[in-house]
Amino acid sequence: MDNFLSILFNSLQTGSVYALAALAIVLIFRTSKTTNFAQGSIGTLNAYVGALVLSSWGWSIWAVAPVSILTAFLTGVLIDTFIIRPAAKVNRIAKQIITLGLIMIITGITPFLFGVDPYQLPRFIPSGSVDVLGASLRFNTVFTVLISLVLMGAIFWFIQKTKWGLAIRVTASNEVTSKLMGVPTKTVTMMSWATAAMLGTLAALIIAPSGSVNPNMMFNVQVSAFFAGVFGGFQTFYGPVLAAFIIAFARNTTAFYVTDIWGDVLVYMVILVFLFFKPYGIFGKAPVKKV
Amino acid sequence: MTDKPKENKLLEYWNAFATLVKRHPHVQYLIFGLVLVLFGYLSSVGVLPSYYNSVFAYIIIFTIVALGLNLLLGFSGLISLASSSFIGVGALGTGVFLNLGLPFEIAALLAIVSAAIIGSLIGLLSSKISGIYLAISTLFIAEILRQIFTSLEMFGGERLDIGTVELLGFLELSRNSRAQRFYLFAIMAIVMAVMMMVTYNIIKSRSGRAFMGISRSENSAAAMGISPLKYRVMAFTIATIFAAVAGVLYALYYQNAPTRQWGLLQSLTIIAIVVVGGFKSIYGMFLGAFIIHGLSELFLKELLGDVSYIFSGILLIVVILFYPKGVAHIWVDIRKLYYKFKYRNKEKDVIKDET
Repeated sequence: MDNFLSILFNSLQTGSVYALAALAIVLIFRTSKTTNFAQGSIGTLNAYVGALVLSSWGWSIWAVAPVSILTAFLTGVLIDTFIIRPAAKVNRIAKQIITLGLIMIITGITPFLFGVDPYQLPRFIPSGSVDVLGASLRFNTVFTVLISLVLMGAIFWFIQKTKWGLAIRVTASNEVTSKLMGVPTKTVTMMSWATAAMLGTLAALIIAPSGSVNPNMMFNVQVSAFFAGVFGGFQTFYGPVLAAFIIAFARNTTAFYVTDIWGDVLVYMVILVFLFFKPYGIFGKAPVKKV
Repeated sequence: MTDKPKENKLLEYWNAFATLVKRHPHVQYLIFGLVLVLFGYLSSVGVLPSYYNSVFAYIIIFTIVALGLNLLLGFSGLISLASSSFIGVGALGTGVFLNLGLPFEIAALLAIVSAAIIGSLIGLLSSKISGIYLAISTLFIAEILRQIFTSLEMFGGERLDIGTVELLGFLELSRNSRAQRFYLFAIMAIVMAVMMMVTYNIIKSRSGRAFMGISRSENSAAAMGISPLKYRVMAFTIATIFAAVAGVLYALYYQNAPTRQWGLLQSLTIIAIVVVGGFKSIYGMFLGAFIIHGLSELFLKELLGDVSYIFSGILLIVVILFYPKGVAHIWVDIRKLYYKFKYRNKEKDVIKDET
């Protein structure tokens, strides 16, 4: 039981990180009609900014996090203005390739800006844990899971209940028509990029303490978030978030109970077979295409 | 007076040769390969720096993979994020089969066949999954292969040593000797020329037209009696075979196969090569590989340090935004410009004459 519980706690933490990243990807997919492959790299870049501030000025992580989030906001706005908006006319695959180019630029530029040595970031709550039926649960885990859930809840509320959320949903459903209806689609797209960058950065800040801040720190998260997106289906905002938790739990369980090395492979295989029978994910439906 | 007939004869030969080249693009590819061989010879005897050899070997490897990916990306409109993994299948597969004691040719064939089988499985997957879901499914395959490469003991952990390669049962070639390394390079250049011919044949065949039809509109293609499933499987299989051939060449030239190199970043580099070189162009793939890999390895590294990723990333975005046809298209544009000027001048002359 205690093993199972610690797996569950662990999965909740990684799952919430995956979910943040997955939500960011879906947000951009729905508003810009492209898959942002550079999601993880943007998070990494801003985590580096945070780590640099932390190590050179000695601020606490609570002060550093807002700085990172702010730079993330700027990164998102800049990328949308200078790269994504001029590319409105190019086709879908080319748009995806642009974000692949962003990965290359960011991966290449980090050693020049921040050096080659990895940085360390502390946990939000450095110590303290509570025993739950024999499994220890860190306060930090509770905090990160709570903040991610609250944040995602807030975003869902925003998308479903507010006027701006309505603007996001109509932009997602048909950009041209919503433009004709007076929806400021440019601002909507820009804000989704900024929000996505902030979510990615938050995910990076949460994941950083369990390793170090290095150019590949978000690779795993990024890939898992994509898998969550596919598994949950890109048509809904909640599907990928739920799928992220499912994937995190499945990976941890197979890694613990079945095989250590091949746990991931097993889960990926199952998802691929699943996709073969249900190509648009658990919650997705086949898009209606007009010929 | 006595020289003139001789000159004429030379000219005649030249003209005959020119028409031959024009009529048979295959000859062009062969000449291109031979020029590369000559280049390799110059760098192996010391006229050019000897590391050029190694850089160009990698360019050749990238060119072959890019030719395969171009069939997917440029012709069929399908995106694969696993192309680098299949170079790994080719290289590591060759190494494993060689270590079992098989001769090189059979080892290479087995490696290529196993890659082709995985490729056709992805193709089958693509019958149900499409668009972004398909791209990410190839990422699943890449992740699974990465895990297999790094965890299975038979791939030797960090790298798999292959050592001296024996070709055709008698020709032993080691990369440690300069002369033999040149032979290895020459083999690669010729294989690349052959792969270019194969690509040309595929493009000009019924299948090539079917690929293009599918990329424009799958429904219209299906209405015309082209089975999208068949040609998708075909496109994926061919692309993986190309990548595996490149992997075999990697094993042949470098005579060892690392396990951690075949990740997403290298796949991205290959996509960058296809985009920068120009969709649907054959020479463009070599040009793209030269620009993306060669320029940063040969020149930029000395000037600015390791900027290859930044360079190719920026180039990728700039090309997509401002020159979506790719660098290979520059020739056409220059020629157009040239004719435009020529024509304009002539027009002026005509107008002058009239007045």
